[in-house]
Amino acid sequence: MATKPRVKIPDSVTAGEVITVKALLRHAMETGERRNGEGNPIPRDIINRFEARFDGAIVFAVDLNPGIAANPFLEFTARIDRAGTFRLTWTDDGGEVTEFRHAISVSP
Amino acid sequence: MKAISRRAFATLMGLGTASVLVPPGVLGQATPRVVVIGGGAGGATAARHLARDGGGAIEVTLVQDSPRYTTCFFSNLHVGEVRDFDSITHDYDALAAEDGLTLVIDRAVGIDRVARTVALAGGDVLPYDRLVLSPGIDLIHESVPGYSESAAERAPHAWQGGAQTARLKSALDALENGRNIVMVAPPNPYRCPPGPYERASMMAHVLTSRGFTDSTITILDTKSAFSKQALFSAGWRRHYPGMIEWLPPDVHGGILEVDAAAGTVETDLDTFEGALLNIIPAQRAGAIAVDAGLADDSGFCPVVATSMRSTLDENIFVIGDASIAGAMPKSAYAANSQAKVAARNVRVDLLGARDVAATYANICWSLISPDNGVKVGAQYRPGEDGTITSVSSFLSEADESDATRAATYRESVGWYDAIIADMLG
Amino acid sequence: MIAPPNDARRRLLATGAATAAAAFFGGTVDAFASVDDIEAAIAGFAGAAAEDAAASPLTLYLPEIAENGSSVPLSISVDSPMTADDHVEAVMVLAPENPNLEVATFHFTPSSGFATVKTRMRLARTQAVVAVARTSAGKRHRVDRHVRVTIGGCSV
Repeated sequence: MATKPRVKIPDSVTAGEVITVKALLRHAMETGERRNGEGNPIPRDIINRFEARFDGAIVFAVDLNPGIAANPFLEFTARIDRAGTFRLTWTDDGGEVTEFRHAISVSP
Repeated sequence: MKAISRRAFATLMGLGTASVLVPPGVLGQATPRVVVIGGGAGGATAARHLARDGGGAIEVTLVQDSPRYTTCFFSNLHVGEVRDFDSITHDYDALAAEDGLTLVIDRAVGIDRVARTVALAGGDVLPYDRLVLSPGIDLIHESVPGYSESAAERAPHAWQGGAQTARLKSALDALENGRNIVMVAPPNPYRCPPGPYERASMMAHVLTSRGFTDSTITILDTKSAFSKQALFSAGWRRHYPGMIEWLPPDVHGGILEVDAAAGTVETDLDTFEGALLNIIPAQRAGAIAVDAGLADDSGFCPVVATSMRSTLDENIFVIGDASIAGAMPKSAYAANSQAKVAARNVRVDLLGARDVAATYANICWSLISPDNGVKVGAQYRPGEDGTITSVSSFLSEADESDATRAATYRESVGWYDAIIADMLG
Repeated sequence: MIAPPNDARRRLLATGAATAAAAFFGGTVDAFASVDDIEAAIAGFAGAAAEDAAASPLTLYLPEIAENGSSVPLSISVDSPMTADDHVEAVMVLAPENPNLEVATFHFTPSSGFATVKTRMRLARTQAVVAVARTSAGKRHRVDRHVRVTIGGCSV
């Protein structure tokens, strides 16, 4: 089960500015290849999809596989033309979604 | 004593012929005096070996600021509840009883390099023919924004053995399930490269033993990689899955502010909260060495690789963590190794003893979980470029058996007893 | 997603470093992707897009030496106008010596501003990581970057 994400994202920008977003989620990203102490395989359990949406429209997205390191970290950019709400989502193999919302205001 | 030319003598000691020193004994002077500052792994070893091997021909005075010495090395094992405090704390009784050695419990506050004297806090002034400085490190608290010496009460570094060790242990004892630990790990160079990661392992062991599965340990590092990283990472995944999170600078974006009272570390990425903050700042040589002008811009003391003699003062040797020792890490093992080279060179200076090519060694052991020990080590010699250079090295393998890892830990215990005996008698 | 190849050829692990790095993958990595597998993955991703022979606008940054294969910093940047008519649609990263060939696919849009991303990946052993970019104008770009994975030692 995932925990609360840590995200660096500005609160207010100039219209047309390209912002940088950094997002970190604690998650083991279990590959499915490891075995436990008794030699039994530990099942795969990863975050397989990340989406950054602004007012509902996708800005940036990632399909993740087990080759992404534990505690997945993503740094990406977005051009903000008007005020709105960012919604970041992480979806795991079980379909569980972790969400982070952030309102951004814009000065002309 | 066999007569040798001034040039040969100078070459032997690694000095230019402009500054040849003739052993006082040769000139028929009084017994030569050596002052050693610092009773840790470097200083105690140097003092003891000088007293024993000098055969009474050298008066050795060891200045140590407290009568009991808690080793910083192995203090992580106390944090991990593998060793108790008394087992890592020692007295100087046997050392003080050595013939030719005088133990002074006091703090050295200044060195007059021209008069060749050491001033003590208690008022005494000790003259020396040669000085061996082994003052260890000082913490540069301000290297971490918001951190200070007073903040270290609340957010201990525990990077010097003794009161700080006890403070960290108390804070860990008081931690409740679900409360977190945040560590800030220092930039290179610093005392004990794998130390912060062994400490995180030991704290994770304690939390896991208590069943505190909701508590996490976050390491905010000022480095992009660390000693034995692959071995630690594999060990953490095996013994403490999901408990330890290591974040390098390109993830956290930089440490902005530590608030010890609030229990927070603010980084560019986010603010991390911890009921226990373990802030390990950048380090430099102990103040006594820096104030005496023996350190360079790095904050540590440059020395001649063949002798550990200061490059800035031919009468002073600097050993242990305070020195710049080429490829050798800052460790107790290294300090003990360097002390013997320095002691020999002091005897060459003062007694005309035979010089021998310097060799050094180091082994760093780290305990990942109580039966899972790893090590890294090397042999060193002065290299062609004038620095202490590794000549052969070894490292624990990733796929070793549990039995090998347990044996590696036991080996470290044997070493601990041996180095304490070598230092303190 | 392409499954690891069921290949009779086995690659011996050259050093313990590979085993350490692969521990999170289960301790042994004896399957590896062939050139055919890589080409198939790229074809599936880039389709009919033409390989651009000119200087590549795609930059793939990885360290030359990774002391810990379980967390290796990866940075991708594609020089592009990022307009509706001409923008990077996606970049796929492949690790031919990992149990899973495909590491991730990054999807960009004109509102990304820049086609750039930083993340951390796992490397089971020393290998050449492949990044392939596909643009809305029907172009494709590829960059390979070799990374040596070690256990490392006691750094000063």
